[in-house]
Amino acid sequence: MSREPLVSRRNPWVLWSVGSVLVIAVASVLIGFIWLPSTHNDLSANGLWAMICRAAGVPTTWYQGPPPVTSRASTDVVLTPDFLQHADAVEIGRGATLAMQCTVCHGARGVSEAEAPNLAGQYPEAVYKQLHDFKTGQRQSVVMEALVKGLSERDMRELAAYYAFLPRATVSVSGGHDAPALVKVGDPMRNIAPCSSCHGGMDHKTGSPWLEGAPQLYLNTQLANFAKGVRHNDINGQMRNVARQMTAAEMTSVAAYYASRPEATAAAR
Amino acid sequence: MFHSKKLVLAHFWVAFGAFAIAIVLGEWQMFVRSPLSAWLDNPELYYRSVTAHGTVMGYVFPTLVAMGFGYAICEISLKRPLIGLIWAWAGFWLVIVGAVMASVPIALGKASVLYTFYPPMIANVFYYLGVVLVVVGSWIWVALMSINLHRWKKDHPGEAVPLAMFGNVAGAYLWGWTAVGAAVEIIFLILPVAFGFKTTIDAGLSRVFFSWTLHAIVYFWLMPTYIAFYTLVPRAIGGRLYSDTMARVAFVLFLVFSMPIGMHHLFADPQVGAGFKFMHAVFTAMVSVPTFLTVFTIVASVEIAARLRGGKGAFGWVKALPWKNPTMLAVTFSFIMLGFGGAGGLINMSMQMNETIHNTQWVTGHFHLIFAGAIVIMYFVIAYELWPQLTQCASMPQALMRTQLWLWFIGMMVLTIPWHFVGLLGMPRRMAYYDYTHPDIHPQAWGVVASVIGGAMLVVSALLFIWIIFRAHRSSKSAPEPFRFAAAVHEPKHVPTALNGFALWLALMIGLTITNYGYPIAQLIATPQSSVPAVPVGGAR
Repeated sequence: MSREPLVSRRNPWVLWSVGSVLVIAVASVLIGFIWLPSTHNDLSANGLWAMICRAAGVPTTWYQGPPPVTSRASTDVVLTPDFLQHADAVEIGRGATLAMQCTVCHGARGVSEAEAPNLAGQYPEAVYKQLHDFKTGQRQSVVMEALVKGLSERDMRELAAYYAFLPRATVSVSGGHDAPALVKVGDPMRNIAPCSSCHGGMDHKTGSPWLEGAPQLYLNTQLANFAKGVRHNDINGQMRNVARQMTAAEMTSVAAYYASRPEATAAAR
Repeated sequence: MFHSKKLVLAHFWVAFGAFAIAIVLGEWQMFVRSPLSAWLDNPELYYRSVTAHGTVMGYVFPTLVAMGFGYAICEISLKRPLIGLIWAWAGFWLVIVGAVMASVPIALGKASVLYTFYPPMIANVFYYLGVVLVVVGSWIWVALMSINLHRWKKDHPGEAVPLAMFGNVAGAYLWGWTAVGAAVEIIFLILPVAFGFKTTIDAGLSRVFFSWTLHAIVYFWLMPTYIAFYTLVPRAIGGRLYSDTMARVAFVLFLVFSMPIGMHHLFADPQVGAGFKFMHAVFTAMVSVPTFLTVFTIVASVEIAARLRGGKGAFGWVKALPWKNPTMLAVTFSFIMLGFGGAGGLINMSMQMNETIHNTQWVTGHFHLIFAGAIVIMYFVIAYELWPQLTQCASMPQALMRTQLWLWFIGMMVLTIPWHFVGLLGMPRRMAYYDYTHPDIHPQAWGVVASVIGGAMLVVSALLFIWIIFRAHRSSKSAPEPFRFAAAVHEPKHVPTALNGFALWLALMIGLTITNYGYPIAQLIATPQSSVPAVPVGGAR
């Protein structure tokens, strides 16, 4: 067998293989970065260099009309999985003191008898986000907007920490055989994700509250408000998209299901 | 003259055992999402199963087959004991520990991110650590194959590296380099989040790194099959390999062109520029070159066998082929599935046509036809061919083997052709259920039912395969004939230096990776505010 050196000008394998790969690469660059984009006005705008940069994926703007109308963000809160997950006793204690003004509606131990949501054991980021949105006006409520006006950033975090610290009335989760279809499987053809994929049961997504035992009237109102767009502080519009597709009867049935769960909640009040 | 029998057997048994479990999960998935079953009360179970099926079938099963076959090739073709047997066992156990470590969080519902990871979803940290261990275990194999080849070349200066070993080391180097993409993604992007050190992740960059691995991994799965085409099939059907050089060229072209093409999986991703997507499409098309070279060479080799058996005429020789030989059947089935799968692949790699089938069941149909069909059917052949050497079984049940291969072929066609069809109708993949009562979806119902039936045939075939190799392993013993690989028509006496080693091809592989991935990766790293909050799965319920 031949024992010619690999790297040598006389070795045709090196010449041909490297040469052909280079030809293919250069040709594909010329076609992909220059020829193809040049056939489309949007891609070839602002000259050759801009066109090449665009084909390379460099972030750029080439829109030159009047500034687009921007709507207000649904919320200013950015939630990450570890947000407010580590509260100490001092924060919880301060939160307990601040929570005195919440007890009329949300109950002495965070379980409501006044058609307001239960807060005992609620995820802290969910409570914080709602407080923050009330404060900025991104969620509307005559009562809550007045109450949060005086709360500082620290106050809201500590209130969230306190309510997260309180024990839930129950640890049971929803879903399973008896749940309405929308809770366990949603309705794919209407783009309705199952409730339990975010609100617990199947999985929990950061920022989604747990709902078991929440007042039916409250849940029903919120769904109707999401559907009408009156409530619009869901970060990606996910609740508005879901609620818009639901009938009034479906809202009632889902709200009734969560309100009825678990039976133990009533006894705990 | 076969010292690492136990090692190879251990790899094969674990590989095929895991395969048998994962295939049942696959069929269960087919059933629960078909009109034959009511919707799952807990759809998360479906995604748990998809993750397990994909992780086992994509990472554990083919890796163990490639490793086991690689060790066997190393000893048989180089005709000397494997260097680094202890390291090989260490690699094996790393893969086992990794597979178990990844499986536990999947089973607990803490890792339902699917085997392609899909950041910003984040699974339990042990899932990723398990996958990393599997990869590290396989990298030991890569190193051992390289070391064994180099020692042999040192002791045999100027001799041609046996073709089987050449293909084997090409596959090892391909895997060594392609696994780097997913390893970088896991180690630098996912693990810091999974450990809780970070709460945001750059999903776009992660996907680019994964695409580095995602397509070339298929060619790593393919390598044992191509080695079987070139070095087992011609001998098994009584012929000779048409061209040893053509085989070497095909192996090195796979090494060069498998890598810089992964972005054709990202045609719908906004973070990559269209120019780079085009470049990747061009190089994807180049993979057809070694594929067609192989089809030509193997058909020519088969024709040689037919003519040696008295076949005549332009096409009449086909009748003279040994159709009762399981290997003959398998290579035929494999080529048919490769043909259909390759034709579908042309649509996947073309940016505009891809839009019509992107993320539909078509894609599932495509890669099952290529991997589970064309590739895995040759894994069966590899096991059947090596079994007498590994277990000293007196004989293999030919009729049962033929039944098993027929079932696999028909089952795979019945599974995947309807998948392509419903994909064209727009059925998205990776869904736990579909509303077949809806008039838009109703026409797809029969296709999904057909796939359930195809899947059931595959389960029967897989269990039959396990039964065949189990019975053979337990049967009476006799000394096997010495194993030999197929001889070429012209024995390789004058192999050019370039085709007797990998330096040139590795340089091209790395060079093309840099040209096709370097800028997009650098640009994404440099782009500020490109991270999004992570979405941990399977957390508080």
